[in-house]
Amino acid sequence: MRTPTFKSRAFAFISATSLLAALVVVSPATAAVATGPTCDGATPVQKCTGTTSDGALYEMRVPATFNGTVTIWSHGFGSNTSFPAAGLTIDSSAQIAPANNPVLVKYLTDKGVAVIGSGFSTQGWNLDEAVKTNTELVGIFKAKFTDTKKVVAWGYSMGGGITQAFAEQHPELVSAAAVMNPVDAWDAQSKYFVDLLWLLKNWFDPSIQLTGYAAGVNGDMQMLGDIQKYTAILKSLQASVATGAWPTTSSKSGLALQANGIPSRSALLLIGRLAGISAQSSSFDGIAGPATSAVTAWPLAYAPALGTLENISAVIGYALLGARDMQSKMGGSNFDNSTTDYSKQLSAADRAIYNAGFSGNTAIAGMLSTLNPLNPDAPRIKADAAALAKSKATMYQSTGKIKVPTVVLMGQNDPVEPAGIVQRMADLYEQDFAAAKEAAKAANQSSGYVAPRRQLAVLWSVTPKTWSKFTADGLPIPIAGTPGTGHTNFTAAHYKFVIDAALTAASTGALPYKLEVNQSFKKMLLTIDRTSAYAWMKHYTTN
Amino acid sequence: MSSKARRTLLIVQAVIAAGALSLSALPAQAAEVGVTSSAIKLGITLPMKGSASYGYNQLPGAMKAYFDYVNANGGVNGRKITLVVKDDGYLPKQAIQNTQDLIGKDKVFAMVGALGTANNQAVADAVNLGRRGIPSLFINTGFSGFNDRKAYPTSSTLLPSYVMEAKLMSKYIKETYADKKVCLLYQDDDFGDDALVGFDKDHGNLTFTSKIAYPSLSQGVAGVPDAWVGKFKAAGCEVQIVFGVSSATLYTVLAAAKAQYAPKWILGSVGADIASINPATTPYIIGATSMSFMPSVVDPKDEYVAKFKEIHAVYNAKAKFNSWALIGMNSAFLTVQALKAAGKNLTRAGLLAALDSGGAKFANAGLVPLNYSKTSNVGYNGYWFGKFNTAGDLVPNDTFTYTVYTTDSGTGAVEKSTYSRPDMPAKGLPN
Repeated sequence: MRTPTFKSRAFAFISATSLLAALVVVSPATAAVATGPTCDGATPVQKCTGTTSDGALYEMRVPATFNGTVTIWSHGFGSNTSFPAAGLTIDSSAQIAPANNPVLVKYLTDKGVAVIGSGFSTQGWNLDEAVKTNTELVGIFKAKFTDTKKVVAWGYSMGGGITQAFAEQHPELVSAAAVMNPVDAWDAQSKYFVDLLWLLKNWFDPSIQLTGYAAGVNGDMQMLGDIQKYTAILKSLQASVATGAWPTTSSKSGLALQANGIPSRSALLLIGRLAGISAQSSSFDGIAGPATSAVTAWPLAYAPALGTLENISAVIGYALLGARDMQSKMGGSNFDNSTTDYSKQLSAADRAIYNAGFSGNTAIAGMLSTLNPLNPDAPRIKADAAALAKSKATMYQSTGKIKVPTVVLMGQNDPVEPAGIVQRMADLYEQDFAAAKEAAKAANQSSGYVAPRRQLAVLWSVTPKTWSKFTADGLPIPIAGTPGTGHTNFTAAHYKFVIDAALTAASTGALPYKLEVNQSFKKMLLTIDRTSAYAWMKHYTTN
Repeated sequence: MSSKARRTLLIVQAVIAAGALSLSALPAQAAEVGVTSSAIKLGITLPMKGSASYGYNQLPGAMKAYFDYVNANGGVNGRKITLVVKDDGYLPKQAIQNTQDLIGKDKVFAMVGALGTANNQAVADAVNLGRRGIPSLFINTGFSGFNDRKAYPTSSTLLPSYVMEAKLMSKYIKETYADKKVCLLYQDDDFGDDALVGFDKDHGNLTFTSKIAYPSLSQGVAGVPDAWVGKFKAAGCEVQIVFGVSSATLYTVLAAAKAQYAPKWILGSVGADIASINPATTPYIIGATSMSFMPSVVDPKDEYVAKFKEIHAVYNAKAKFNSWALIGMNSAFLTVQALKAAGKNLTRAGLLAALDSGGAKFANAGLVPLNYSKTSNVGYNGYWFGKFNTAGDLVPNDTFTYTVYTTDSGTGAVEKSTYSRPDMPAKGLPN
């Protein structure tokens, strides 16, 4: 068994602009009074526009064959700031379907379904504002189209969380929901984001600011500076994955670990495991190895670190923008790791599974020792008390309770919204469902048993069996779009399948029976697995 | 017919009718996954190819050989056993996928003989066998963590724990090599951590002149084993323990030969078989000490060895009958007994209950007791010591007389075993 030697390869996934390019960018809304809807009266589909009372631009597409069912789309996370230096521009347009895909819009309107959505009044972490906007928008639509009978909410990422919260808070408005790779409650989501950011800063570049950004443009520039530093870190880690060298910007603790022979890839992998990001990514499966003597060593020692790196590069833009947005909205940091024991965030299973990647137990112990809260070289983040109080007082924390028929679509290795978010939702629902069955059995004593209806179907988007590829000389080949990896890595076929299921549920009041027998189900690498066991977000398992 | 007789008949008819009604009211017994009236499907995932497969890859063939023999003799309660084998390359992610496929696609009734500490931890964590009630019997690992029945309610291990092994090793070394400088090379993971517990002052109480923890895979890096050997030699080590995998042992003994470092070698049970990696290296371990819970595979008088060898020659004729074949056939032999004990109405819960209630008394080739019970999912609990002969086989001595020791994973004493092994059933078929 020999350690593989390979040249570092320039992956496309690490650059300052690519870290941000996937974000939806929307301009700040300015209107303060609801307007519209103003309809063009076109046939076969008329378009109506207007603004809600909080200034969100909205749009409606209503077919002449309107059958009384309307879908309301919630888009994903958008930057709250204009950031031209990173190639971002401001756009406040309404979104009525995933990426406003005209094929999907036509697919729905051809069925007689109306399609609506807004751009929301504010971006960033906007769950509370967006639920209010959606509530108002449904009212506006119903007032205009009085034969409306059913409302189906759908959305992905931030919009997935908004959709779930909307259905949770307003089951009287929502007949069914399609929730795709949703965000978790902010407490859980922020821990995931800021753990990643803080751990990277702590070991690889302590000059990163991360907290205490100034307001306005100055803060924008500070955050841009951080983005560039994170980009430099990730590039350095990628370049040295074989040698194990640490970035030159590393902290004293990091350099001490390097001096003790711990490769930077082990530290990177440990950061990923502590935060809870998947170690399987679009290019790296942790299973296949090159057809060389490294066939076993590669997937054990290198692939998990590279998978973590690829996934971190996909989430870090969201993480930084989200963290800064909340700092701005709350007037300070509401993240606090001043007493966090990071050693408790490494599961026993991860310690065993990734042991070779960590370089052994001694290396794990050495790395964790530098994360001691008393280490002066690893200064912790202390939350701002006022910001924390404001956060708790004003932010709705979704419970994940399922009150209307809900179809969830989730990628098993989503780097932005880990699978554990949906796993928790599913686990809690199974508890509720079991309780409902017990209640039905109790009621059976007097009125006969009536089985409760299952309200949640989770469709997992899973990976192929193996997918990593190598050149003849053993170099890894970058792969884009592997099913079950990446953020919102769904096709039009996925969206059609999910919204059709939700529409059926809205129509019948129950989830479609045996979704998995649909012919396109397996082709899309979907599975329904009520025995899945993805780890919940660390917020729930370590706090 | 008298009125009394007529009344009796009516009552009997009513009772029969009531019985029929109650029977028909019962739900039909749902068929257990992987079980039909004529077949039982089992699954195993382990490394079959690649650098980590040597030795282990002989287990499934041997298991199948015994199952085929049982099938040829009527099966288990009329059911023929099939074993679905999947190669995981010793990769946890592949083991997870294999197990998911075995359960979800191949629809196996139970897992048997899966191999590896990390792989089985990964499977337990991701596939959640416990919550799903799926048995994973006779796992080939000695990691003490699996002895947590709450965490692994449907799993059972086969090997003595690595803590036990280190405790026994400590006693042997203190008795055999008193006052010698003892050094330790161990794998820097859960496997090695278990050993450290077994060696510590509360357990084996063995002190080391020098010890080195090697991260898994580092043994294959050029120059690294030479550095280990250099440190041990410089420390004046006289007794050298290698508590690692076979490749670590291989590279270490090769480096030692190069450096003319010639201690008394004590090789852990997991990593002693370097001949399976490269038969030409057998001379490097001649005279080295190791341990086993099974009889020596070349024991000419052991009835289990003889019977398994005979069956193996018929049903796995192309493969060599060696220590791996013996372990594989013994695992299959245990599996058949567990299936029989679970009864004709075979269920997963019934299989687990059968192992709990009767597993400790199953006939088997092991020279130490099995410890399965309602509170223990641990297999064997001891070892005998022997040395490798010129053919590379571990033997206790020239007369094949075994001195067997037993202990626990706690602070219990190491004792000479008084265990009396059950006789091999007639024809090698469990009663």
